[in-house]
Order: sequence, then structure tokens, then C-alpha cells
Amino acid sequence: MKRLKFSFSTKLTFDNYVHDHSFALRFTPIESPAQHLSAFEADISPFVSVKNTSDAFGNTVTCGFIRKEHRFLDFEIAGIAQVDCTVPKTDFMPCYRYQTAYTKPDAALREFYRFTAEDCTFTDPFERGMYFSDKLSGHMRYEKGVTNTKTTAAESFALKAGVCQDHAHILLSLLRMDNIPCRYAAGLACCDGETHGWTELWDGTRWRGIDPANNCPVTDDYIVLSQGRDFSDCAIDRGVMFGQYTNQLQLITSSVMQI
Amino acid sequence: MTIAAAGSKRSEPVVTVADAGEINDLLRRYGVKFGIYKNGQFKEQLFPFDPIPRIIGAEDFSRIERGLIQRVRALNKFLFDIYHEKNIISDGIVPEDFVYISSGYLPQCEGISPPNGIYSHISGIDLVQGKDGEWYILEDNLRIPSGASYPLIARELTRAASPGAFTGSDIIDNRDYAALLRETMDYVNCGGINAILTPGRYNAAYFEHSYLAELTGAALVQNDELFVEDNILYQKTYSGDKTKIGALYRRISDEYLDPLTFEPSSLIGIPNLMEAYRSGNVAVINAPGNGAADDKGIYYFVPKMISYYLSEEPVLKNAPTYLPYYEQDREYVLDNLSRLVIKDVAEAGGYGVVFGRDLDASALAAFRDTIIKEPRRFIAQEVIDFMDLPIIENGNEVMRKADLRAFVLSGKTTRVWASGLTRFSRDPDSFVVNSSQGGGFKDTWVLSR
Amino acid sequence: MGTISIEHGDRLFWLGRYAERVFTTIKSLERLYDKLIDKDPQHYIKYLECFGLTDTFGSGESFLHSFIFDKDNCCSVSYSLERAYDNGILLREEITSEALAYIQLAMDSLEKADLSEKGLVVSLLPVEDILYSFWGCIYDAVYDEEIKNIILCGKSVERLELYVRLRYRKELIDREFVRLCRNLSHIPKNTPYRYNTAQLSVLVEIIQSKKGCRGRESEVLTALGRLFEPVKQTGRVIL
Repeated sequence: MKRLKFSFSTKLTFDNYVHDHSFALRFTPIESPAQHLSAFEADISPFVSVKNTSDAFGNTVTCGFIRKEHRFLDFEIAGIAQVDCTVPKTDFMPCYRYQTAYTKPDAALREFYRFTAEDCTFTDPFERGMYFSDKLSGHMRYEKGVTNTKTTAAESFALKAGVCQDHAHILLSLLRMDNIPCRYAAGLACCDGETHGWTELWDGTRWRGIDPANNCPVTDDYIVLSQGRDFSDCAIDRGVMFGQYTNQLQLITSSVMQI
Repeated sequence: MTIAAAGSKRSEPVVTVADAGEINDLLRRYGVKFGIYKNGQFKEQLFPFDPIPRIIGAEDFSRIERGLIQRVRALNKFLFDIYHEKNIISDGIVPEDFVYISSGYLPQCEGISPPNGIYSHISGIDLVQGKDGEWYILEDNLRIPSGASYPLIARELTRAASPGAFTGSDIIDNRDYAALLRETMDYVNCGGINAILTPGRYNAAYFEHSYLAELTGAALVQNDELFVEDNILYQKTYSGDKTKIGALYRRISDEYLDPLTFEPSSLIGIPNLMEAYRSGNVAVINAPGNGAADDKGIYYFVPKMISYYLSEEPVLKNAPTYLPYYEQDREYVLDNLSRLVIKDVAEAGGYGVVFGRDLDASALAAFRDTIIKEPRRFIAQEVIDFMDLPIIENGNEVMRKADLRAFVLSGKTTRVWASGLTRFSRDPDSFVVNSSQGGGFKDTWVLSR
Repeated sequence: MGTISIEHGDRLFWLGRYAERVFTTIKSLERLYDKLIDKDPQHYIKYLECFGLTDTFGSGESFLHSFIFDKDNCCSVSYSLERAYDNGILLREEITSEALAYIQLAMDSLEKADLSEKGLVVSLLPVEDILYSFWGCIYDAVYDEEIKNIILCGKSVERLELYVRLRYRKELIDREFVRLCRNLSHIPKNTPYRYNTAQLSVLVEIIQSKKGCRGRESEVLTALGRLFEPVKQTGRVIL
């Protein structure tokens, strides 16, 4: 068990005024047997009335609506989490068995799965997952800027490069081809200045985390902010606003420290 | 002027050809149209109306009524089950793949309980009558079934043009649809006004949206005048104020409903509507996620659902259906492909329907391969030899294929509207009756005796 | 604009009343007809009772024919249309030839409707269309607001009267009463065409009560009939 002090902030700046801005944030760490918040605060600016709900995947969703014109939206969270990934999490959903738009394999990815699975002698789902992650890290390199938030597993696999989100999607795709239910996790991790994405797989009785971008099991250094079938269920911020053609600039900083 | 009033001698009980022209003029006058995109251009067409009504006797209708009420009750229970306990899957009645791979199943709706537990408030069930007189269910439409407005206004206009046909008759007046719809909305309303959400003027069914709004007194709204604040759905008013909406009869499909939950690029949705709905502050009619129950693959299981949830025998039959997903059925389908009708479960509106007899040998072989490759994508049905109905074409009576879309409204109780949309194919060789495929419609007269 | 003579004021008011009587009578007979078709063939007797009449027709059919086309029946559409014309013909200067022409057209098409083979509602449709045109013409061609308002006062008094007489729903009566009050409020002070405030208070008291007109129809009808009755001079003496 570790006690982690964390903070995370996002500054969204628009180069023109926007209005009628609806947003949905998934930035509250999930309360689970393996993760408990002993302190938490969230701040959103400009001031706006917000409401929290819990979505189908167990994420806390913070919704708000800013009708007046504004040029920025900042939000930050800070708190202390107690993480113990040895305590089982058992919140299963059948939809985790099935491929999604992000994870649907193409012929190349199916082929990669076929020969990887052929060589894999493990039967334990977690060990199979680690094996896939290992093989995947041999195929993929970690590289920023070549993919974006809309890139699918098949696309980044073809590029042989991508960020943590892409690695996680490919591993989800492989696991689902292997009939192992799995889900995407978005959150914060030690030594990462931004948000991180990884994979959790269902070993038959509980969830186990694998970080394919770092090709390692998930430890007590990871804080889960949101989870779902793929990135689209987990986006930390989603928003719709009205205004003239507007560019937005997003600055993200985060930190996680053991205390 | 002819006045035919009850008590006077009953004249010819049918609508005459001369009346037909009159009724079509009136339909044009009142703008009874549907929109269609052809070659990328929006066009409005009159929905061709045939004056010879389909008449359903009281006895026949009471059976249909019992069957439909039973079916819709089971479908509502199925939807609740699927998004909650999933007993029907764990009890092995429906294989889980059929539910979770269906594009209509939305995991985002897991755990949400719609107001009063109703998922399908307005169900459009398509039936055909076989030559043997038996009624078969062809399809359940539980998402946003359209079409009720057409027989509704047609009846109003037919009574005006052809009063003699109704004089002293036993035809049940179908003009109570608006009242039924209003009761259905009021029953689940979470406080606030009723509103009908339309994607706008260029939607195929815009006539219907606006006409039903006028008749029910609901506000006809588009997304840009709505917003969600503090998980409450509001309409912006002209004066800069806001009005709470308690029931939203939305006429846009699930994937476009809320860009923050579903398709992010949707320009016709309402951001955070799903959160307002999840919080119990607004009823969404029909409930999002209903596609899990009207999928063409799930259709096969509806009779089983009726026994499972209601412990009743299904009153109405499905058309004989095979699922290539099951090996035994697949073999049958592959062997008999040339005389079956194959439906792509992902398509709607009469698209994706292939009659095996229309395919030549090479097309059959290619289709066989597709079925083997993607068995879950298709269902196969026996071609029902259904009863033709007379229509008037160039002044002559000719026989055409027709189906019936019955409307079932679920509120405090589940009721079948004593009418329905009878669609017919204008092409003598076609079995496809959809308006988007050039079909026409008839009024449906249900008799009280 | 110059002054309106009391005589012309009266004619304008009755033009509005008769033109509206034609329209609302057609609409209410159509509603009634819908019931006669297949619900209650005796329903026209209730309609007659609203006018204090008993059934001398024997059938809905002959009742309807008389109430629409019989020029000697003072409740008929045809009779009212002729009275509208009688008033209109003397008001050419105020309402324009064009508006008058629509009344003539309406009479012609009512005659045609009588000969038509079509159903009642469809045969009367052209008459309704022409009446709408007549009102559009009044709005458009009559420049003098005072003249226009007197016609509209007549129109709304008439509609309210028929709605009350024929037991229309409270919401509909309320709406028409609001419309009447709106028109009344446009009547300038110090005009001979001034409404009787005592009668108006009776209307306000009854129509705006919780129960509305129900059970007090005759009081409302009397007050409406006397709304434009001249106020008795109370002999105020100026010293």
C-alpha cells in the first residue's frame, strides 16, 4: 500500500470568446477497493455550478454549463490517495469482452495476434497479457506527435509508433481477440508529467493492470481517474461550445508523489 | 353538397375514386409530405395515399391487440433486464453475443432506470397478414418509429371528403392518437413541459414532428434552443429565460443524442442530456439504448422472451426465421438461400433486404461467402406469401403487397392504437413497402364490431 | 381621419358580427357533422337547444341543410352572409371595394356548395378560404385603425357569443374574451362608439370566475348583447 499525493491541472484557452459551453469532466479518482481518497479537492474556473453523476463504467462525471462568453476553462484537482493494487477490484461488465471502434483489429493486427498467441504457452490471462505486452513493445516504439486522440489501434500498429493511449488500445485489441475481457484506464502515474493510459484485464475473478507503454505490471504508483471500453469512455474532459472559429490551447500538468 | 348523416340511408361504405383525388388534393393542401435525399439534394414528396382502406374486423383486431400488448410488455421487460440484472442471459435464453454485439446496445445506458421503468413508450410493430389469414410480426421498431401522423391526418381528411363511407359505421375513430401520445408523455414527465425534439426542417419526418407537436401541445424544439444546466434540461425562451423540460420525445437517433456521451461530432444533439436523464430529471422518449431489443437478430428471440418474462404463450407469430449464427440454421440458410429473404441486421428502412430469388448464381455464391464470414450480420426468413390489398392505379383496382405498422403506446397501461399505417408497394413485383423506397400508404380502419 | 357617424359605426360593428357568425357557424356545424356521421345522429338537437329551438327538422340531414343554406332561417350561414353584405354594401368607402367583393364571392361559392356533389366539409372549404381572404383584406386595406377596430369588436363579440352559446371549452372562451378586451381597449375615449362598462364588469366577473360561464350562459349572453348599448345619461350638471 502506498499513500500518493497527487495534483493535476488543465488550462484550456480559446483564442476567441465562446459561449453556451457544456462540459463533462472525468477527473475524480475512482473510489474502489484498491484505491481510496483520503483528501480531494477540485476547482473549476471561471466559476460555474456543477453536478456530479456516476456513469455506467463507474466514473464520476462532473458536468457544467457556461452560458456567458468566456475565453478559458481551467480545472485542477489535488488530493491524497491510498493505493493497494493487491486488493481485488471486481466490477465486471460484459461489454469489456467486445472490440470497439478504437480496438477493432485489421488484417495486420489479427495476423500479429495469430502468431503471438501461437507462441504463447501461458494459460493464465494475466501472464498472457504480459506476454502480449512484451511482444508488443518489441513492435511498437513510444513516440509523441505521430498519432492523435482519434487514432485507432490498427492505425498506430501500422505506424509502429504511438503514445500510451495507442499502446493501451492495441493491447486491448489483442486481449479481446484472445477472449480476455479488458478495459482502458486513464489516470495519473508517478514520473509522468501528463495523464497516462493503460490496460486492465479480467483474469476471471478480478482486474489486473498492465502498462503496455512501459511494458510492466501496474503497481501502487498509478491513480485511476476513469475507466471504460476504450479512450472514448474515459476522456478526462469533453466539451461542446459555440463561438467563431476557435483554436484551443490545452496545457496539462500533473504530479504524483509518494508520501 | 352531399350530407350523409347517420340515420339517413347508408350509402356505399367505401371511398370512391373521385374522393381519392379530393383527398390527395387535401393532403397536398395540408402539406402531408416526407423528405427524401436524392443525389445529395433534399426533396419533399407527397406520400401517395390510396383511398381504399385496409379494414380489420373487431375479432381480428382484438387478437392483434392482445399479441402486441404482450409483445411490447415483454420487450420493455427485456430492455430493463439487459441494462440491469441480465437474467435472460444468465438463464441461457438469449446468447450474450446477440445482445452485446448489437449496435443498438449501448453500454453507456447500463444501470439507468428510465422514469416508471418504461423503455419503449411508442413502439411501431410491423405485421403482415398471410394468405392463410394469420398475422405475422415482421419487425419491431422501438427506437423512433414514425408514421402515425399519416393515417391520423388522412382520416381527418377522408371523413371530410368521403363522409358517406363513415355514416353510421362501426369504424373506430383513430383521431385519439394525439391524446394517447400526450398521456404517454405526461405519465413519465419528470416535471416541466413536454417537448418534441426534431433535427429540423430537412428531416424526412418533419411533417410528423410538427403535426404531432401541434396536436399534443408539446413544444417543437431543436437542439440549439436547449441546454442542460445542473443536470436539468431547459429550453431557452425568447425573453432570455429558461423553461424546464420534463419529457423529451426525441426524433433523433441515439448516437446523435448527446455529443458528450455518444458521437462527439453530432451537431444535432444536446450536450449532457444523458446526465440529466440519468439523474431522473427528464424522460427521454423512447429511452436511449432501445436498439438492443429491436435488432433484427434479437427479433428471433422475442417469442422466447414472452414465455420467459410473462409465462404466456405468444399470441402472434414471428415470420419463420433462421440465424446463420447457429450452425444448424446456417446450413439450412446456405442450402435454401435462393428462396429465402436475407436481412442485414445493421440496416433499416427497407435497405439491406435481399431476396435470394433475385440473385444469379455468382451473386448467390458471393452472398453465401459473406454469410459464412459474418454469420452474425444476417438473419434469414421464409418469404411469407402475404395477402395482397387492392389499390387504385390510374383509375383501376390492382393488387399490391402491403404491411401494417401498428402503434403501441406504453404509459400507465400499454395500449394499441386502433388504426395503424398500412404501407404498400407501388411496384407490382416488390415486397418492399417503405416510403423511402417509393411506397404509398392507406388508412387502416379497425371495426368496433 | 374624420369622424365616423353613429350610423356607420353601427354598420361596421354588425358587419364584423355577421361575417364572424358565418365563419363560426360553419366551423361549429362541421364539428357537429363529424359527430352526426358515426357517433350520435341525434346530436343536432343539442345544437338546436343552444338556440332555444326544438327539433322541427326530423333528421340531421335536413337540419344541416337548413342551417347552412336556408335564407329564411335566421340562424343559417346563408342568412348571416346576406346580412353581412347588407351592411358591407353601405361601407364601400370605409372597407374598400375589394373587401366587399370577397363577401360577394363568399355568397357565390356558398350557392355552388349547395349544388356540389362533394361532402359537406370539402364543399364549404372555398367559403372558408374566401372569408379568410376577406379578413386579410380588412387588415390590409382599411387604413383607419378606429374603423378597423370597430369591425374587430363586432367580430370578437360575435365569436364569444357563439362560443358561450354552444358551450365551447373554457380555455377557448377565455381566449376569446381576452381578445375582446384587447379590442375594447383600443377604442378611444370620447367616441360615440363606447362600450358599457357596467356590462363589461358583469362579463369580467362571470367569465373570469373559476367556473367560467357554466350555468350562467344566459347572463353572459345578455351582457354581451348590451355591451354597446348607450349609457343612460345621469344628468350631470355643470355649474
